[in-house]
Amino acid sequence: MTWDVLAAGVLAGGLYALIGLGVSLVFGVLGLMNLAHGELVIGGAYLALLVVVDQGWDHPLAVLPLAALAMALIAYPLQRYLLTPLLRSSKTAPLVATFGLSLLAQALFQGAYGIHPQSLPSSYATSGLTLFGVRVQTIYVIAFALGLAMCAATWLLLTKTRAGSAVRAASADPRTAAILGINVNTVYAMTFAWAAALAAMAGVITGVAQSFTPTSGLPLVLTGFAVMALSGIGSIGGVLIAGIALGLLQSVSVGLFGGGWQDVVVYVVFFLALAIRPQGVFRRSAH
Amino acid sequence: MIRRLWPAALLALITVCIFAAAPAISLGNLNLGVTLLCYLAIAQAWNVLGGYSGQVSLGAAAFVSTGAYTTALLLIHTGIAWPLALAGAGASAALLAALLAVPLLRLHGDYFAVGTLAISIAIQALISNWQWAGGASGLTLPISAVPSGAKLFQIAVLIAAIAMAVILYVRQSAFGLRLAAIRDNEPAAAGLGVWVTGHRLAVLLISSAVTGFAGAVIAFQFLVVSPDQVASLSWSLNALLMSIVGGAGTVMGPVLGVFIVYYGLTYALQDQQTLSQVLEGVLLVVIVRFAPQGVWPLLCTGPRRLLRMSRRPETGPGVPAAADTAALAEVESADLV
Repeated sequence: MTWDVLAAGVLAGGLYALIGLGVSLVFGVLGLMNLAHGELVIGGAYLALLVVVDQGWDHPLAVLPLAALAMALIAYPLQRYLLTPLLRSSKTAPLVATFGLSLLAQALFQGAYGIHPQSLPSSYATSGLTLFGVRVQTIYVIAFALGLAMCAATWLLLTKTRAGSAVRAASADPRTAAILGINVNTVYAMTFAWAAALAAMAGVITGVAQSFTPTSGLPLVLTGFAVMALSGIGSIGGVLIAGIALGLLQSVSVGLFGGGWQDVVVYVVFFLALAIRPQGVFRRSAH
Repeated sequence: MIRRLWPAALLALITVCIFAAAPAISLGNLNLGVTLLCYLAIAQAWNVLGGYSGQVSLGAAAFVSTGAYTTALLLIHTGIAWPLALAGAGASAALLAALLAVPLLRLHGDYFAVGTLAISIAIQALISNWQWAGGASGLTLPISAVPSGAKLFQIAVLIAAIAMAVILYVRQSAFGLRLAAIRDNEPAAAGLGVWVTGHRLAVLLISSAVTGFAGAVIAFQFLVVSPDQVASLSWSLNALLMSIVGGAGTVMGPVLGVFIVYYGLTYALQDQQTLSQVLEGVLLVVIVRFAPQGVWPLLCTGPRRLLRMSRRPETGPGVPAAADTAALAEVESADLV
């Protein structure tokens, strides 16, 4: 086990935190398990592919804000007019609907681009740099920085702004929040759109770092759930730590057992975390 | 007593008739029949778990693949007869469920669903990496040891009949009532003395065993088992979709759902798999949004509701309206079999 492997794991953890943050935010505020989150991520990658390949942009990272905005615009009406009404109807309907949306999106990706692996061509996809004497991939350094920045931005939004107060109020008690004049439907849709924007950013990074297919979203959504299960709900610091822990675990296990097992490790961790400590491993008490 | 017995008698009669008619059916129709009957068994197995006990599962694929791979491995490596391999498939699926029950039964609602999804994807990844079981390319069954044609159809008929019998039992027994109580309000059921964990475990084991049997039949039919096919998430999707479209928590709903989904989508759009999958996703979303109870209850209550609307002006002040609706409600609940 060399320092390279550990560093790669920590840096990949930033990407997992970015995915887990969206999953955790949607579940924490809306109480919705979004099985289509992986398709929001891969959708971001396909959106970037549309711009990079068809329009000839050679800087995929310049597409980041564009992909995030586009995905947020798709996600907002989806939550407002489909999922929010379902949240009020029955216990399992929203989960089943997101499962349907997930498979629907996979089929759409397949219809548009086929089942062949795609990737976003870029100069920093394969280049590396040396940090503190350790050789790392540039794209994962960017992923880590982005994950860190987005966790910080989300924390600031939630704790320091008026809109953030509304989100926290709607999360704690939607009825009372509605009585106090907060438009809960809008809060839900905005939260979902923000989570989708985070997902799309993670998707662009994923698309540069590795190849993706229409079904790549499924392992990613489970990675997101694993991060949430490890961190507990409603703790952004926990999401970051959980993402890094998962990244480390994954790269160590790939070093030990080989590449085919990296997803299996995620599932096992997720399952154990859920079963042993449903309230989150890194969480000491309820808020 | 007769009213409780006629569905079971009818099921037995239909099973015997189809079983006996098997040699007279053409090979193409036998093949189609096996496919439909496997879907029926898997959908009803889901229905017991998701519809009656409220444990929505996204993990049917895990048990289909366990059944299929157990059958394939037993036939290839031990050379035992196919009935034993079939029994082994059910047993191994139930064993897997028993092992997974330790963590799974701690989970409720959405957590249970996501837990089962994780299991089925983990199993697919495990099989793909398991070189002894053929890895990603899978295994080929020894053709001479595998039942085919009319015999395979008869096996499928029996498996589907077992699934239907389980559903009928759950529908009519005190066991099923306790399950419904757990589904509708778990703390209240536990407070009234229902052994919640025992009931949830029993349903999980039964459902998994039936799905494992169906997995064995699918292995017999496909002759090649590979992670992409038998561990595909589309089994989980179809189990859920067929039950929910037809009507989860009813006996006839999934039967109707199998026909609607198979003939409406899978078969009609054979050449356009992508479009078929798009429509399956749309159908699932539309059903949970606009008709969460499914098509069968709509068919049962729809005509009566229309009848009630047209009759309502006739009920004069002399007729007690409350008695009328109570009688209607009773008829509705009795006939929702």
